[in-house]
Amino acid sequence: MTDSIASDPKRRELEELLPFYANGRISEADKKRVETALASDGELAARLEIIRDDMAETVLLNESLGAPSHRALEKLMAGIEGAPRSAPLLARAKDSLGGGLLGWLGGLLAAQPPRRLAYASAAAIALIALQGVVLTGLALRDGAGFQTASAPGSQSSERYVLLSFAPEAKAGDIASFFKRFDASVVDGPRANGFFKVRVGDASLSTAQVDAIAARMKSESAIVSFVAPAP
Amino acid sequence: MHTESDEELVKRIASGDRLAMKVLFSRHQVRVYRFVLRLVRDEALAEDVISDVFMDLWRQADRFEARASVATWLIAIARNKAWSLLRKRRDAELDEDYASAIEDESDGPEVVLQKQDKGLAIRACLERLSAEHREVIDLVYYHETSVEEVARIVGIPENTVKTRLFHARKKLGEMLKAAGIDRGWP
Repeated sequence: MTDSIASDPKRRELEELLPFYANGRISEADKKRVETALASDGELAARLEIIRDDMAETVLLNESLGAPSHRALEKLMAGIEGAPRSAPLLARAKDSLGGGLLGWLGGLLAAQPPRRLAYASAAAIALIALQGVVLTGLALRDGAGFQTASAPGSQSSERYVLLSFAPEAKAGDIASFFKRFDASVVDGPRANGFFKVRVGDASLSTAQVDAIAARMKSESAIVSFVAPAP
Repeated sequence: MHTESDEELVKRIASGDRLAMKVLFSRHQVRVYRFVLRLVRDEALAEDVISDVFMDLWRQADRFEARASVATWLIAIARNKAWSLLRKRRDAELDEDYASAIEDESDGPEVVLQKQDKGLAIRACLERLSAEHREVIDLVYYHETSVEEVARIVGIPENTVKTRLFHARKKLGEMLKAAGIDRGWP
């Protein structure tokens, strides 16, 4: 079959923007051009649907890969301990201060391995520890989107689906949808419009999660894509 | 509450802050690991690569320039290390090993189709794309990168990014068609 898009440079150029329209990483100007073309070009719209299908499956495939074991962090930290570098700020202080008492102090500090410097002050230790607690808490909240279901060494106690909403879905309908399924969003929206949604706890079997996903999928006025997620 | 940005963490890392290093690692390790694993197809190897990636960050944090995001920077380093490994171990050898492992563990697209699951068939085909095509598909569809970011990570012109992605999508469609799923294109 002849690819009529490929043989038309203007349509081909727009077609090549579709993956970036679908993942939300496109300029406003290009977004408008794509939307205008989609409104009148059914073939282009069909191509976008294929891209969205493939994107959803790519997300599911990657999510199923799990997470690295603790070995990766342990190896990294061992590497850092094994090859301590001089602290750059102290090294710079040494360069700029030159001679005199401050220069001597800067030189002395710069010559110390980081581990020894860390023990130099109880106050510094307390501060670093406090920062660590705060930072770790923030990191777990901020970056947990890709760890929630597959953190290393732990079994998920929740069951999830990945879904996207139909463009015409109304806020009220979405709210009652969540109520009907006793579901809640745990991650998203991502740039591509997908949400990770909790549909129950670990007592649900794979077949039950499949059935929930199928029931959700049947509500096509509200959701455009649903699939069980790891 | 103020959430420390990646760039702020990198500044702390540049001054030797190990806790900031752990935070940045926990924030990005899963994405970087998955990106590498899809290329090298070996979990232990992928873990070694991410340790090396963050070790590079530890050594070079004071040279980080905010022209790209930290996430893009990490993926770019990871990509170089993964491809360097792929070049050392012949692609064919890796792909053959992995292809046979897939055949042992999962159904091919044709079998999956018989089970009437289009999604599984697409995923089976995604596994069978070449490393070059897997990479660009993952970067855009999963890592949600822009044309400019893919160009920076892969080291190719922006137009080549679009063309490569087009061919990867086309190849995926052809594989599905061969397996009995005709989506109207190609």
